[in-house]
Amino acid sequence: MDVLNNLLLGFQTALTFKNIYLCFIGCLWGTVVGVLPGIGPLAGIALLIPATFGMDATGAIIMLAGIYYGAMYGGSTTSILMNIPGESASVVTCIDGYQMTRKGRGGAALFIAAWGSWVGGTLSIVGLMFLAPTLANFAVKFGPPEMFSVLLIAFILLGSLGKGSFFKTLPMIFLGLLIGTIGMDPLTGTMRFTHGIKDLYDGIGFIPVAMGAFGIGEILSSTEESLIRTVYKIKLRELLPNREELRASWGPIFRGTGLGFLIGLLPGSAHVLSSFVSYTLEKRLAKRPEEFGTGRIEGVAGPETANNAASESAMIPFLGLGIPTGPAPAVMMIALLIHGIRPGPLFISEQPQVFWGLIASMYIGNVILLILNLPLVGIFVNLLRVPFRILFPIILLICLVGTYSVNSSVIELVILLVFGVLGYIFRKLEYDVAPFILALIIGPTIEIAFRQSLMRSAGSFSIFFKSPISCTLIVLSCLLFFWNIYRAVRPKKEWEKALEEGE
Amino acid sequence: MSKERGGSLIFLAVGIYGLVFSIGLPLGRWNEPGPAVFPLALSILLCASGIFWFIQGKGKEEKKESAGLGGFVQKYKTPLRIVGLTAAFILALEPLGYLLASTLYIFVLFFWVSRYRVWIAVVLAVTFGPGSWLFFDKLLATQLPQGILPF
Repeated sequence: MDVLNNLLLGFQTALTFKNIYLCFIGCLWGTVVGVLPGIGPLAGIALLIPATFGMDATGAIIMLAGIYYGAMYGGSTTSILMNIPGESASVVTCIDGYQMTRKGRGGAALFIAAWGSWVGGTLSIVGLMFLAPTLANFAVKFGPPEMFSVLLIAFILLGSLGKGSFFKTLPMIFLGLLIGTIGMDPLTGTMRFTHGIKDLYDGIGFIPVAMGAFGIGEILSSTEESLIRTVYKIKLRELLPNREELRASWGPIFRGTGLGFLIGLLPGSAHVLSSFVSYTLEKRLAKRPEEFGTGRIEGVAGPETANNAASESAMIPFLGLGIPTGPAPAVMMIALLIHGIRPGPLFISEQPQVFWGLIASMYIGNVILLILNLPLVGIFVNLLRVPFRILFPIILLICLVGTYSVNSSVIELVILLVFGVLGYIFRKLEYDVAPFILALIIGPTIEIAFRQSLMRSAGSFSIFFKSPISCTLIVLSCLLFFWNIYRAVRPKKEWEKALEEGE
Repeated sequence: MSKERGGSLIFLAVGIYGLVFSIGLPLGRWNEPGPAVFPLALSILLCASGIFWFIQGKGKEEKKESAGLGGFVQKYKTPLRIVGLTAAFILALEPLGYLLASTLYIFVLFFWVSRYRVWIAVVLAVTFGPGSWLFFDKLLATQLPQGILPF
């Protein structure tokens, strides 16, 4: 009953003209960045952060979340019609989606992808609505040792489930944590690595680092490939799937929802992982698995549902614990911090209108996206005709002005450029940038939790094993760490190789 | 150089930097850990990761596609141009002001990097430079530097 009352409050907040408009803008921009290869949801969210400065926190998070889940919808369009994944989670959709287009069933694939995304997204919000407050209530009782152990396991999971190998992700986490220590030490007031630069006293800005590593880094990678993109002619035949396709897609849609929801709770590239796992599962369950790759609707329905479900359930640890499990929630966390709101155990009880307004807006947003991605799909496909050589200078300028507008600081522009180059170099060297950003954001919390725990116990490490929660999580972290060592030395399985290639 | 070794050098460089500058910070005691503990531990871990990946990269040398600085510049000319132009924009932003600096920046990007004809680059620059100034400075009331212009 409490949930229903709160949801009613959420709809009262979300159904104002301003918030519906912001939700629409977020979904529209999300679909655009999802459709356009080279601009992912991260760059999409980072680019619109400056536009949220004049808004209240509710409006800002409604719009930014719309971009995040909107990109998941849009990503499938180019995968199905052009064999180009608009977003990394849609890589697997190319396999059967494009084959369906070649057989003249592209319209049906788009319909099922949008329908599956809607079902997965909507059911996932129901889970989010019930789970996030429960998790937050539980986490309120957490002291520094519990918080440290939760963050420790989050980092180990991030290393295990992120792109690339565990040992390639670990140094990125260390790097993010080290850069997170720049600025004034929160416990003693000592300056660390500031070299007398006043702009660094409050720490290194998240916005220039995130916009640089994701926005500028992504642009530099894209421009290196080609500035002129070939746009194929697209024929949208029947949009409605036939009875056989509808019947075949129900199972994958519901399995994809459950799978995506669970994987979304884990740190790392959950939406990418969920689509690959869903595809593998559907192939295993199929009566004729050899037909996968030739244009099976199950190969579109399962992964597209799973990545949407994962993107919505990824909001649970972010909103309930204040731990962003992926780069997109991390950038949204930055936006909320700018508005003076810190997601975490107290967020839902202290800011009910923001949390429940967001939940309600997600229901509305999923309906908006269904409308945008079915009858209006042709308009988005035409966007691909805008040459990237026109788009990238404008995106660069928005990144620069967006970063400058936060603190009117040229130093932050230098940071933006430095991290843009670093992000580009790491992409070239095949290191995942996302764990670096997550570590940078969560770093100060884990450091404070660690030091406060030792202060409480007069320097005894036994404090981490006194609480059952902390002890269990630390033991699990150790087991996971050793499992990763084992995984690194044993030969890779076929699906693991496919996942790595896809990423 | 292999990708593993490329990454290892970055980790080693940052790790050594961290080590050098965290040594001067107070370490504290176990019952009151100082501000050096976390950065020092992370710097050591980064150095260890750098060494690990440097050793792992042995024998994984990549094929040399082009030799020397000229080949490097040729291969990465577009990203290098963008980085150089962006650095110039950052330097010119406060002295010239946003309106002028952004219009020039956009023009050079369209003309030199995107390879549009001069008149197309001028039209695009005049549209997007002042357009973004109007949007951010006037509509969103963002504080942008005036520079040499009176507005």
